Amino acid sequence: MRIVDLSTFNAAREAGLAKLLPRKPRIAIGMGTCGSGNGAEGVYHAFSDAIDNLGLGFQLSRTGCFGFCAEEPLVNLWLPGKPLLIMRRVRQSMVPGILDDMAAGRVPSDRVLCKIEEWDHITAGMKYGAGFPEIPHWHEVPFFKGQKKIVLRNCGLISPDDIEEYIAVGGYQALYKVLIDGNPGAVIEQIKASKLRGRGGAGYQTGIKWEFLRKARADRKYVICNADEGDPGAYMNRNEIESDPHSLLEGMIIAGYVMEATQGIIYVRAEYPLAVHRLTLAIEQAKEYGLLGDNILGRGFHFDIQLVEGAGAFVCGEETALIRSLEGKAGRPTPRPPYPAEKGLWGYPTNINNVETWYNVAPIVIKGPAWFTETGSPKSPGTKVFSLVGKIRSTGLVEMPLGTPLKTFVYDIGEGGTEDRAIKAVQTGGPSGGCIPQEMFDTPVDYETLAQIGSIMGSGGMVVMDEDNCMVDVARYFVEFTHSESCGKCVPCRIGLDKALHILNRFTRGEATEGDLATLDELSRMIRDTSLCGLGQSAPNPVLTTIRHFRHEFEDHIRAGRCRAGVCEELALSPCENSCPLHMNIPRFLQLLKEDRLEEAFESVVIDNPLPASTGRVCQHPCDDRCRRKAIDESVNMREVHRHIADSIYFSDRFDALAAKVASRCMASTGKKVAIVGGGPTGISCAYYMTLLGHDVMVYDSNPEAGGMLRYALPEYRLPKAVLDRELELIRRVGVKFTFNTKIGDEISLNELDALYDAIFLSIGTWKESWVYLPGTELKGVMPALNFLEAVAKTEPVALGRRVIVIGGGNAAIDSARTALRMGSRVTIVYRRERKDMPAIPEETEAAEAEGAEIVFLATPHRIVGTGDGRVQAIEVVKTRPGEYDASGRRRPIPTDEIQRFDCDTVVLAVGETVDLDFARASGLKIKDDGTVEVDRYTLETSRGKFYAGGDLITGASNVSNAMGYGKKAARTIDQRLMGVRRWEDLFPEFEYSLTPPAHPSESGRHTVTELPAADRARSFREATVGLTEVEALEECSRCLRCDIRNGNH
Amino acid sequence: MPRKLSIRIDGQYLYASEGQTILEAAYANGKPIPALCYMKGLAAVGACRLCLVEVSGVNRLLPACTTAVQEGVSVITESEKLTRYRRIALELLLSERNHYCAVCVSNGHCELQALATRLGVVSVRYPYAYPKLSVDATHPRFVLDHNRCILCTRCVRVCSDVEGAHVWDIMSRGVNARLVCELEQAWGQAASCTSCGKCVQACPTGALAEKGLAVEEMAKRNENISQLALHRGANR
Ligand code: SF4
Ligand code: SF4
Ligand code: FES
Repeated sequence: MRIVDLSTFNAAREAGLAKLLPRKPRIAIGMGTCGSGNGAEGVYHAFSDAIDNLGLGFQLSRTGCFGFCAEEPLVNLWLPGKPLLIMRRVRQSMVPGILDDMAAGRVPSDRVLCKIEEWDHITAGMKYGAGFPEIPHWHEVPFFKGQKKIVLRNCGLISPDDIEEYIAVGGYQALYKVLIDGNPGAVIEQIKASKLRGRGGAGYQTGIKWEFLRKARADRKYVICNADEGDPGAYMNRNEIESDPHSLLEGMIIAGYVMEATQGIIYVRAEYPLAVHRLTLAIEQAKEYGLLGDNILGRGFHFDIQLVEGAGAFVCGEETALIRSLEGKAGRPTPRPPYPAEKGLWGYPTNINNVETWYNVAPIVIKGPAWFTETGSPKSPGTKVFSLVGKIRSTGLVEMPLGTPLKTFVYDIGEGGTEDRAIKAVQTGGPSGGCIPQEMFDTPVDYETLAQIGSIMGSGGMVVMDEDNCMVDVARYFVEFTHSESCGKCVPCRIGLDKALHILNRFTRGEATEGDLATLDELSRMIRDTSLCGLGQSAPNPVLTTIRHFRHEFEDHIRAGRCRAGVCEELALSPCENSCPLHMNIPRFLQLLKEDRLEEAFESVVIDNPLPASTGRVCQHPCDDRCRRKAIDESVNMREVHRHIADSIYFSDRFDALAAKVASRCMASTGKKVAIVGGGPTGISCAYYMTLLGHDVMVYDSNPEAGGMLRYALPEYRLPKAVLDRELELIRRVGVKFTFNTKIGDEISLNELDALYDAIFLSIGTWKESWVYLPGTELKGVMPALNFLEAVAKTEPVALGRRVIVIGGGNAAIDSARTALRMGSRVTIVYRRERKDMPAIPEETEAAEAEGAEIVFLATPHRIVGTGDGRVQAIEVVKTRPGEYDASGRRRPIPTDEIQRFDCDTVVLAVGETVDLDFARASGLKIKDDGTVEVDRYTLETSRGKFYAGGDLITGASNVSNAMGYGKKAARTIDQRLMGVRRWEDLFPEFEYSLTPPAHPSESGRHTVTELPAADRARSFREATVGLTEVEALEECSRCLRCDIRNGNH
Repeated sequence: MPRKLSIRIDGQYLYASEGQTILEAAYANGKPIPALCYMKGLAAVGACRLCLVEVSGVNRLLPACTTAVQEGVSVITESEKLTRYRRIALELLLSERNHYCAVCVSNGHCELQALATRLGVVSVRYPYAYPKLSVDATHPRFVLDHNRCILCTRCVRVCSDVEGAHVWDIMSRGVNARLVCELEQAWGQAASCTSCGKCVQACPTGALAEKGLAVEEMAKRNENISQLALHRGANR
């Protein structure tokens, strides 16, 4: 059928409409490359067979992709007169059920993603029908909310293989109009007025480019579509072509007409076979319908489009290289000028535009430039398609107005991080783009703003990264890519990128120096400023932006030899070791115990961690999160194994012998005197190692006994004093000395310490409860959690009421609640965010609930109501709702106007702790704005010579093992400063144990502690859990996969 | 007669002719902008990036060898930044392959060596790659040592555009790019080679040399070739 006039045009349209809205139910399967990869072929055949077998007169067809790749395969269902339903993750097995439902005119009960009642194809509207009130509209689904589909207007809704369906939704109307009007200049004016910018990356004004070509005088002119999409992870062009090839052809034919071009060429990657196939078919059909080739639409205009498959070199995205490649030469860029519009393919004037640019042409022609500029930002109007991938819940292709802030992509469309991990950065623009840190997520995504912050729009790639991504490795990955894609013509890109990669590899191996960082920075700038083409000019972006925004990660790799994300394998023994703040050699103690060598296992544990029984009970166990065994079933219970090992020795007759053995490891006396202020976990750890290193160590503490928070804040049922005392006994036997009841600042000043000692380590913990300012805190019965816990620990009398409200969601809140329960009160915990946001250890929270504590989430205190005589009577809380994501990656609680009242007589405030820094201020130590002591992150040196600080003093309130990690680190750096040589490694003995990975790791599941029955334990301060039995502990050891062994060696 | 344009180079007012590149105008006025891939008479390719200059009103650096002069432009050919970048480019070239001058036939006559000396490159901060490439000594009179090649493509251009033989080309990409003789022929077997020796004279380093020479003996003479090239219009 050839379209030559309006009536033939309308006939084609009617034919298409009859297929889109037939008189019978219609099923369409999304069959782009993405859908097919997820089983759409099978689903299609299942439908086809079942429809035949059942003799149902349903229409079955294929469409492209609707963009929600994480939910593929998507299937459209339509019953005449009803809305179009989009189903997600359809499996073959669901086909009979779906057909049943459809035959009965029902909505399938499961997996309906959304409905579409009307659709704006921009070039036309489509009414499917109304109904199904229980099903959300498509734009109510978070992933689609805010999306505006101009480029993707037809994707996933029409068949890419049927030109009539395209015509039915307004296709080729723009071409028809342009040819009838016969005023090419006016079309160029429209495109110019729309300020449409090239979507390939550089963002040059399309209208101006067109005008150049139109004005060029030559007997041949070319119009080229650049479909050489080469960014890893970017597939928007593939998807556009696969889903809606005719929109591309229409855009190019219009352009051909207005620029008086003779030939169109689509340069498409050979790796896109489906796109090639559908385009070939579309070109044939367009010719058959008289829309392409000779005498188009009977208006005497001739234009042909040829398809060229490129070999897929990244550099061919560069227009001059693409032209060389079309000429059959090697794809190497040439300097501009001359621009292709003057001297392009075979020396003739040429216009090149990216796929997506062409898709905007027909809508602008039909709706006009004013409509187009309504969307997007003033300098970058319209929309852009992005491929949103990485560490977020919902991934896929999204089309958003330009100028949309990054956080909308990450948190609204993408629905935030996976597994509640904090999101760290977004990389935009593919391998040539930059990394934008979380603090800058307000950045509007448009050409100028992205360029200003060192990134680019590129073709629209967006990769979200979280705390598990190492930014050094990210930079390395992208440079590795661009380096292998460099054409090699110019010096900075060819050699410079090779050297940059070399330096980055040194970082990931922990061999880099400060000098390397400076060299890398300078080299990257040089490559950016001097390379011949866009590839080289933008290739350093990932490096420059990560150095700018994540410099501390580079420094970690240099100065601490650590990769916090645990990605750079050569910097860690194993994932668990890397995550343990004390860097315990976990696989080693597991293996030693597995080999039935308990005493050596104990020695291994205690040389890495001076308080293995206490941390074995109360550590936040970050190791669990990282354990690779998790991929099989659950992580190895490393914490409980070291608790078991420690308990087995502490409470046996082997204690004396082993304590003596540890003490015997002390190095010869150095004659150096070291003072440690604070006898909590941080101070004890530092003191322990400093003593082993041969220094004369004195610990000062204001309390009558050692242990700090372990003794005075952690309740007996979590950490029995008997256990703590046993651990401290070992510390004492090693030779650590204590001076109690001595407060620094009062009894002894920092200046005096300075005079008496060679080095002073400050490690007092968090002792001051932060106070919330709300009405009623002055009432009797309101108490800070730490004071409450301390009083209980010291068995001082506490005036606790019968009805207790605890405010907060951290460990101190849960400890307070469980303690109050044990004192016979009824307890309710009020927390302002959701359960998953609670900083407390989840097991503790669950235990508290089992013991009878109630938790009210999403509520924040409003005021405390008092009786006439100044006692607490009730508390009023404001309910909150989760708002925007904050810097911690959690949703900020937004107060609503709903108020709840709880009668109570005691309110315990556990809303965070701060450090009492009065003494530090008085002695002239530099304090940072956030109220912590300023130190060098790597050496822990303060602003005052000889003084070091660690733990809560420099981090704010933290947890026990983190605090101990600082103590250990401080010992290492102080020793090196005092002695001028590195002696740290000499402290750690060698152990002999198997270095062969287990052929069959135990298949047993994870063993956990045995909890006493909730009802019993809630009535006593006896330890609430019983540790692993010997058999269980051994089995845990056999579950370890031995990640410390690589390629057969260590 | 081409039109005279008035321009400024490093603050000095000068005349240039329309159609000249910045590099040509600078050379005509005795301003020696560093250059390696440029050779008088050959079409410029802008590959070595040593000739980059600052041009008023343009916010990025432009290669002098491919940028035409325009009426009224002001060009800076030397600045702290330009020197720094040029030094890095030279360091990169020196570390890419093997440029151990003491044993090279071109020692003392090498353009790379001369520029390094001129710009004060005394040490190389990047690791030397020393890729151990082959030497093609199959030609009766000439020899090609890939280890000394800087991929400037002067030989490629002189051979195809002046001699008309097109023996040379570049194969592979990135750091693996190599000069290649015909379709990976040994030079001695290359049917298209006329043995004119233009490539040898055009080569700025010791990569292409005459056979049988000792260290320091390979001085190059390419002024005649440039004249011939200009005569044949090879620079278009
Ligand atoms: S100290 Fe904590 S992080 Fe380290 S192994 Fe023990 S439980 Fe795991
Ligand atoms: S052989 Fe000489 S002239 Fe040819 S590319 Fe190499 S360095 Fe340049
Ligand atoms: S001389 Fe201009 S880039 Fe080499």
